[in-house]
Amino acid sequence: MELTDDIIIQAPKDQVYAALNDPEVLQRCIPGCEELIQHSDTELEAKVVLKVGPVKARFSGNVVLDKTGAPDAFSLTGQGNGGAAGHARGGADVTLTALDETTTQLRYEAKAVIGGKLAQLGSRLIQSTAKKLAAKFFKSFAEAVDADVAA
Amino acid sequence: MKDDVENREDRVANLKGLGCSRKRVEDARFTQGKGNYVDDIKLDGMIFGDFVRSPYAHARIKSIDASAALEVPGVLAVLTAKDLEPLGLHWMPTLAGDKQMVLADGKVLFQGQEVAFVVAEDRYAAADGIELVEVDYEELPVIVDPFEALKSDVVLREDLVAEDGSLPDGAHGPRKHANHIFTWEAGDKDPTEEVIANAEVVAEESMYYHRTHPCPLETCGCVASMDKVNGKLTLWGTFQAPHAIRTVVSLISGIEEHNIRVISPDIGGGFGNKVGAYPGYVCSVVASIVTGKPVKWIEDRMDNLMTTAFARDYWMTGKISATKEGKITGLHCHVTADHGGFDACADPTKFPAGFMNICTGSYDIPTAYLAVDGVYTNKAPGGVSYRCSFRVTEAVYFIERMIEVLAIELNMDAAELRRVNFIRKEQFPYTAALGWEYDSGDYHTAWEKALKAVDYEGLRAEQAQRIADFKAGKTRSLMGIGLSFFTEIVGAGPVKNCDILGLGMFDSCEIRIHPTGSAIARLGTISQGQGHATTFAQILASEIGLPADSITIEEGDTDTAPYGLGTYGSRSTPVAGAATAMAGRKIRAKAQMIAAYLLEVHDNDVEFDVDRFVVKGAPERFKTMKEIAFAAYNQAIPGIEPGLEAVSYYDPPNMTYPFGAYVCVMDIDVDTGVTDIRRFYALDDCGTRINPMIIEGQVHGGLTEALAVAMGQEIAYDDMGNVKTGTLMDFFLPTAWEVPNYETDYTVTPSPHHPIGAKGVGESPHVGGVPAFSNAVHDAFRAFGLRHTNMPHDHWRIWRTAHELGLHA
Repeated sequence: MELTDDIIIQAPKDQVYAALNDPEVLQRCIPGCEELIQHSDTELEAKVVLKVGPVKARFSGNVVLDKTGAPDAFSLTGQGNGGAAGHARGGADVTLTALDETTTQLRYEAKAVIGGKLAQLGSRLIQSTAKKLAAKFFKSFAEAVDADVAA
Repeated sequence: MKDDVENREDRVANLKGLGCSRKRVEDARFTQGKGNYVDDIKLDGMIFGDFVRSPYAHARIKSIDASAALEVPGVLAVLTAKDLEPLGLHWMPTLAGDKQMVLADGKVLFQGQEVAFVVAEDRYAAADGIELVEVDYEELPVIVDPFEALKSDVVLREDLVAEDGSLPDGAHGPRKHANHIFTWEAGDKDPTEEVIANAEVVAEESMYYHRTHPCPLETCGCVASMDKVNGKLTLWGTFQAPHAIRTVVSLISGIEEHNIRVISPDIGGGFGNKVGAYPGYVCSVVASIVTGKPVKWIEDRMDNLMTTAFARDYWMTGKISATKEGKITGLHCHVTADHGGFDACADPTKFPAGFMNICTGSYDIPTAYLAVDGVYTNKAPGGVSYRCSFRVTEAVYFIERMIEVLAIELNMDAAELRRVNFIRKEQFPYTAALGWEYDSGDYHTAWEKALKAVDYEGLRAEQAQRIADFKAGKTRSLMGIGLSFFTEIVGAGPVKNCDILGLGMFDSCEIRIHPTGSAIARLGTISQGQGHATTFAQILASEIGLPADSITIEEGDTDTAPYGLGTYGSRSTPVAGAATAMAGRKIRAKAQMIAAYLLEVHDNDVEFDVDRFVVKGAPERFKTMKEIAFAAYNQAIPGIEPGLEAVSYYDPPNMTYPFGAYVCVMDIDVDTGVTDIRRFYALDDCGTRINPMIIEGQVHGGLTEALAVAMGQEIAYDDMGNVKTGTLMDFFLPTAWEVPNYETDYTVTPSPHHPIGAKGVGESPHVGGVPAFSNAVHDAFRAFGLRHTNMPHDHWRIWRTAHELGLHA
């Protein structure tokens, strides 16, 4: 499964980058996120409740960040396990481009492979669900960053 | 029977015997919701078991933690391989001479594999418990391609590799690679290769007969009840072979066979899916022994499609040689058979590739060679005969595709090519190059009848016009004429070469005539929709002269029925049907002595006439079978025991060889790939016809499953070993919407060795139907250069074929 999109965020690039690395912001914005623990600068652990079609499960997973391209880009890879519901692993490349001093374009390219019941039952739903979740995340994220800017 | 019926025709009609389209006696309960299926069984204190299944196709199990699951209210126990190991039940033997994990023992080999068995007070608690069993998996490389499996360093079955790295022989001889199961050969390799090398014309083709699944409406399930007071185990279940299941349960559990009672209640379709022994049965029995309570296990649809016996998955490569005139001289076939993680194929022991060596089909092919390599992959085990005799549908698909490809190579009409090569009527009994002795056949008569019925020449003329119109841009539709001529090999089988787990494949019938002239007959088979209670009573009615309506047929209870090997591979009529006739003849022989005594003549002075014995030359002097039955119980007849009972165990001298000629006419929308089957003609020759109405129903059902397999039904895996078609959203099960109208027809060539000449029919339409549908698709594109494209021919694949042939330009 592959997902690609562009988002325009009304905030300077540095601020967007900082928000992307702020566990509190992320936890607020990730749909269904119950817990996000930062183990180190580049390691996160998350618990997320996800519903794909008839499958609903609590996924626990680890995410590793690669910040060598900061603040123009960063990558993340991760894997999650939802027990009987299945499992997923994947990654995303995020690039940030300053369109002007207060506007940033965020572009992401994500790839994921899924297995288990999710893959069997959800194959026809997973792409649309993932798109919806990503859209929800970035909508919340843009709002959160905008709010921070306003504040 | 009314005693006043004297007209002979009326007396025959009264019996509702052979040839009568008697209404199915089963349907009164089935159509009123009064069937009794395994899930209808509800016992006091019954509890439920269900599986934690592996989400991975290949993984090592590092740990299993059931503590959270055991906290769930209602969850009673969680069984793992560790619990079964002390009982020696963590693995079980398969029907193919391999062994299979009952619960994952250190690793999993396919997605959906049984990892733990959660036992709970109800299904809901079991489902909640399953969610909370924590299994720590370490993913291993997944192999879903059998060709890759034979090259890979990844060993799927470490248990089959010796400590020094060598490969011990498998159940069918030497193994070439850790993931290799067997090589099985038939025929003459060198002479075949020589004939092909020197032939005037050779056609070669490779084809994949995709993995699919029988998908009966009722999934597999059982109820196990261990009575600890009297030490008896009762096991109800969806078993196509209840007696064999009893023996298997006894052998692997150590419970003596007389303490086990296996009951197959009504079964909602089997089609091969319910032949094997599954972990659910073993776990239910163990759970019942552990808890002392009856335990029910019923698969859901995903469990059924993902884990219990699949069908097909054969990669077939063929070479067929002929003279320029089209006379076939040789056939070479190689199969790479994907058996999944365990070899659990349901075949007679000596036939690890079933009767694939019937792949010379209906043709007089002097030289042939077949080799089959079985391979392990990370897929579910199985390999059952989905509505066909053992691997026969693969064999018939192979030869019927090879014939079409050869016709292209020869630039010859495919109907004519078949005509030139059919085994001729006078050649029967015919011994084929790969060893089988065909008992009877009259292929040319059937073929000409079929071609005439559909106006074959007219169809070809119409097709030529359509092609011209298409090329002229007047239409975007093409027309395919799908031909298929098949010979089945059913009725396994002679004990001399057919056994399963050492049990000879005879079958049986036991008859008791009641004093008032009605009867009960019990058989070793079990109906799953075939209508045994109707048809076996008809066989018996004609044999013993009592009306079918006065005869109860009972099957499926091992405490009451005689031992038999069950119902699959169209064996019920050829084997148990023969046993029924033979037991009926024993009844008749005793009845003859009783009649002679009552009529005060010598035994040889009376003869059987429909429903009575008459004095030869004096037909007004007679005793009806009803009178004889009463006399058997109320008169002391010198030299004759009271009662009227008989039993027959029938070991068939040969298989039976039903055959048929099918024609499918299909229109294809080139731009959408949508197919319209405008005509389907099916001529079946199943020998003596017991009940024409039931035959027609069987043919409709078999053709519909052929439509499914040919046109869309498959079990598909992705590279990670995920089952992509695990629900009926993705797995094609035809409904009235997709099913075309079928025209049925017949010829009658009785089997010379079967007591009533019957051959079996339930599976023929599936075997013959798949190539008919597939050949229609191929034929539509033949004029545009298509030689072969793999099934299933769903709309997308047909569209792609048209696209690749440049028809969308």
